[in-house]
Amino acid sequence: MCLAIPGKIVEIDGEKAIADFHGVKKEINITLVPVKIGDYVMVHAGFAIEKIYPEDSRVNPPTV
Amino acid sequence: MQITGNKIEDVVDLEHGSGGKKSSEMIEQIREILRLRSSWKNIDDDGAVFNLSTLGESDKKLVFTTDAFIIDPIFFPGGDIGKISMCGTINDLAMMGAEPIGISLSLVIEEGFPTADLEKIICSASEISKKAEVPIVTGDTKVTERGKLDKIEITTTGIGVAKFILANSGAKPGDVVISSGDLGEHGAALLAKRFNYKTRIKSDCKPLNEEIRAVAKFLTSAKDPTRGGISAVLNEVSEKSKVKIILEEEKLPFKKEIVAISDLLGIDKFALPSEGRFVATVTTRHAKKVILHLKNFNREAKIIGSVERGRGVHLKTTLGSLRRIEEPEGKTIPRIC
Amino acid sequence: MELCGTHSQTVAQYGIKGILPDNIRLVAGPGCPVCVTDQRDTDSVVGLALEGIPIATYGDMLKVPGTLMSLEKARGSGADVSVVYDVAEALELKSKKPSLVFFGIGFETTAPMTAWAIKNGLAVYSAHKKFLPAMEALLENKKLKIDGFINPGHVSAITGMKNYEKLKVPQVIAGFEATDVLRAISMLLDQIIKGNYSVQNQYQRVVKINGNPRARKIIDEVFETADTNWRGLGKIKKSGLRIRKKFQKQDAEYVFRNFLKKIGRKIIPRPTACKCGEILQGLREPKKCPLFAKVCTPQNPHGPCMVSVEGMCNIEYKYANHWK
Repeated sequence: MCLAIPGKIVEIDGEKAIADFHGVKKEINITLVPVKIGDYVMVHAGFAIEKIYPEDSRVNPPTV
Repeated sequence: MQITGNKIEDVVDLEHGSGGKKSSEMIEQIREILRLRSSWKNIDDDGAVFNLSTLGESDKKLVFTTDAFIIDPIFFPGGDIGKISMCGTINDLAMMGAEPIGISLSLVIEEGFPTADLEKIICSASEISKKAEVPIVTGDTKVTERGKLDKIEITTTGIGVAKFILANSGAKPGDVVISSGDLGEHGAALLAKRFNYKTRIKSDCKPLNEEIRAVAKFLTSAKDPTRGGISAVLNEVSEKSKVKIILEEEKLPFKKEIVAISDLLGIDKFALPSEGRFVATVTTRHAKKVILHLKNFNREAKIIGSVERGRGVHLKTTLGSLRRIEEPEGKTIPRIC
Repeated sequence: MELCGTHSQTVAQYGIKGILPDNIRLVAGPGCPVCVTDQRDTDSVVGLALEGIPIATYGDMLKVPGTLMSLEKARGSGADVSVVYDVAEALELKSKKPSLVFFGIGFETTAPMTAWAIKNGLAVYSAHKKFLPAMEALLENKKLKIDGFINPGHVSAITGMKNYEKLKVPQVIAGFEATDVLRAISMLLDQIIKGNYSVQNQYQRVVKINGNPRARKIIDEVFETADTNWRGLGKIKKSGLRIRKKFQKQDAEYVFRNFLKKIGRKIIPRPTACKCGEILQGLREPKKCPLFAKVCTPQNPHGPCMVSVEGMCNIEYKYANHWK
C-alpha cells in the first residue's frame, strides 16, 4: 500500500516536475509537496508525497 | 533498394499478398535487401536446398526451432520486430549448442501498413543476418485485410547444426551459474517507452551465436532469459536438471536504471526479459575462462550463483537470508501497492 | 504486527522471519488496500463495467474476484476496463471517454491523489479508507495478542505521528528497507522489555512529526469520513472516505445510486471457504486456509489475499516458507 520510490527534482513546471530516479526521468505531480530543484522526494502513484532528508537519495537507513 | 507500395499512400495493400505481379515485385525487392551468400542453393525456388555432405563429420545433429513475433511497439529503443525476430530464433539455436545455418522469414502484414516501415524492418532483419552470418534462405509474405491483424506478425524458423546438444537438464550440483551480462534491459526499455520515461536504457537485443561459440563446450546448460526473465528460465533449468539454484543478490548485474524502472512500476526485475543475454551453468573449473571470454562482449559478464543438491531457485539476499524465487505468474501488471 | 502490506513484502523478500529468534512472531495485518476492499465494492464496480461504463483502475484491483467475476474477466467479456498507473493517466483517458469512472482504493497515501483528480474533474468510486480506525479495531480484538505495531511508513508520512498516540501499545513507524524493518523490530523490543509504550519514528528521513498538512488538507476538502465495511474486519466506524456533497457530480456512488442499489440487491456475496477475512486480522495463517495452494493460487485466486502482491497468501505462496 506504500510502494514509493525516491527521486531527485530536476525540473519544475507549475504543478508538474521532472524527477530523476537513478538516471530514469519521469514526470510527477508536486501539488502535495513544496519543492525546489535538487530536492529529493518520495514518489507514490505519480505524486511526490514528502521530501526526503538527508540529501542521499539512496536512503541509507541507520544500521541495526 | 526500396520497397515500393501503393503509389498513392505508399502502403502495403491486398494485391501485394495476392500472388500476382505486384506480389512478385515486392518479394523480389525484399530478397534484394536480404541477399546473403551462403552454401544454400535454389534460394529463389519453392524451397531452399542445403547439401548435408558439406557438414563433414556424420555425428552432427540437426536442430530445428521456430518462433512467432507479435509485439507492441514494433519499433522500440534499440531495435524493432525485424531485429528481434531474427535474434530470437538465432539465439534459440545457439542456446541448444547449435550453429545456425539458415533461417526462414514469414511475414503477415496488415493492409495499409506503411512500406517505409516494412523496409526498415526488413533492413533490420538483414543487418542481423549479416552480423550473425546466418542467411535468410526462404520465406513468405501474406497481406491480410485492415483490422484483422495489428500491423505485422513475423515468424522465423531456424535450422542449426550441433556436435553436442546443450540441454536444460544438464546442470549439476557443484556448477556455478553465470550471466553473460547486464540483465533486464529489453524489458525495461519497452516499459520505459510505454510509460514515457526518459532514459538511456535501450533493448539489449542481439545475436548470441558468436559469443557462445567458443565456450559452449564448457557449459552444462544455457538459456536466454526472454519472456519471464531469469526467474522463468532458471526455474526451468532447476526443474529439468533436478537441482537447486542459489543466486547471490549482490552479484546480480542489474543497472540502477533497470532497478528504478522496475521499482517505479512495482514489477519484479527478475521477470524482466533480456533479448541479448544468456544465463548458464558451468563446471566450476572452467568458469573463470568462460567469464574472461564473455567479458569481451559485455563487461558485466560474471558468476551470479551456484548449483546445489535440492530443488527450486533461491536468492541469498544482501542480509544473508535465503528466500525462494518462484516462476513469474502470467502477464506482469504495474501496481501501486 | 506489521500492518502495511509493503512491510510484509520486505519481510518476505529478505527472509526476515527466518533470522528472527523463535519467541518473536511477526504477524501481518490488514494493510493491503486490495485485500480489505469489501466484496460489495468490487461487485459494484464490476457491475458498472458490465453495464457499459468505462472503468479505470490501478493494476492491483484487476484480478480480484468479485461475486460474479473480476474486472479482468469483465474486460474479457467486452467491458471497457483500463489499467492506469496514476490518476493523471485516468484523467487523460477521461478526455476520450467522458463517462469514465476511476476505482479509488488505498489509504491516506493514495487518497490525496484521488482527491486532486476529483478536483480536476475525475469521477470516482471511492473505496478509500483511513488506516488508524483499523488499528483500533485490531487492538479491541481479544483473540489477537498484539505486543507492538510496526506502523505504515508512507501513511504516516501523510498523517504524521500524533494520531497514533491514543493507541496504548508500543509502536514504531518503519521504512521499507530490510534494515529499516529490523531496526524497527529492535526498537519495539526495547519498548516491550521496558514495559512502556510510545510512538517512535524509525523512518525519520521521510516521516515528519506533523506529516504532510497539504495532503491532509486536500483529503479533507474532497472527502468526509463515513462508516465503512472492511473485508475481514467488518464495519469500522469513521474509517471510510466518502466523497463530499460538494463533489457529488463526480461521486459514482451518487451518480449511479439507483443502478448500484439494484446491484446490491441482485448480487449478494456468498460465503465461501476463503479465509481471507481471518488472515487479514492475523487470526489464521494462509497455509491453514483449506483453499491455499490447492485451489487458490496466484493464477487462479479465490480471494484478494492471493491476488495482491501484498496479500499474505500471495506472499506466502511466492516465498514458500523459508522460515519456520
